[in-house]
Amino acid sequence: MARSVWKGPFVDGYLLKKAEASRASGRNEVIKTWSRRSTILPQFVGLTFGVYNGHKFLPVLVTENMIGHKFGEFSPTRFFHGHTAADKKAVRKD
Amino acid sequence: MARIAGVNIPTQKRVLVALTYIHGIGQTKAKEICTKVGIPQDRRVHQLTDDDVVRIREVIDRDYRVEGDLRREVAMNIKRLMDLGCYRGLRHRKGLPVHGQRTHTNARTRKGPARAIAGKKKTV
Repeated sequence: MARSVWKGPFVDGYLLKKAEASRASGRNEVIKTWSRRSTILPQFVGLTFGVYNGHKFLPVLVTENMIGHKFGEFSPTRFFHGHTAADKKAVRKD
Repeated sequence: MARIAGVNIPTQKRVLVALTYIHGIGQTKAKEICTKVGIPQDRRVHQLTDDDVVRIREVIDRDYRVEGDLRREVAMNIKRLMDLGCYRGLRHRKGLPVHGQRTHTNARTRKGPARAIAGKKKTV
């Protein structure tokens, strides 16, 4: 079910402050964050966030299209490396 | 023969049912259209006057997105997700379920027919 509109978008407060600070400083450095649950707001556009996926911080450059999505959507937590080749000892029984 | 919204030509059936042959119009919208144009529920397509057909066509053109336009919109929405690199886009790219369903078993609609695994033992 979608979130109620009257609540507004959810963002962790510290993330807003960090984004503003980064804007003010002018340097475009990666803002590391664990807050995968935060909504991407219009004021984040153009900044780069390092979104933690439980292993490392994946860099996410925020574009206009991403507004309204959550940070976690851009930092996959599971990696599928393919299946191992079939064991030769496994004999087919018919 | 009534031609509404491009290629759809359902006859003999009730208007309510015939309209659902158009991609993007189900029972709910068919009912809405019928009330807007003022067609009784049991009227059949071949009984419609040309004037009725024109008015149905107008209502659909004005208020609803159907057929090619609708298909294009849906395709664009999916393409947006895929270009964005978000989780849902990745699932679309891989042809796996998008809404968090299990893939250990089932998910055959998205994955297609089961592929045999080489060297897997058959039981009995």
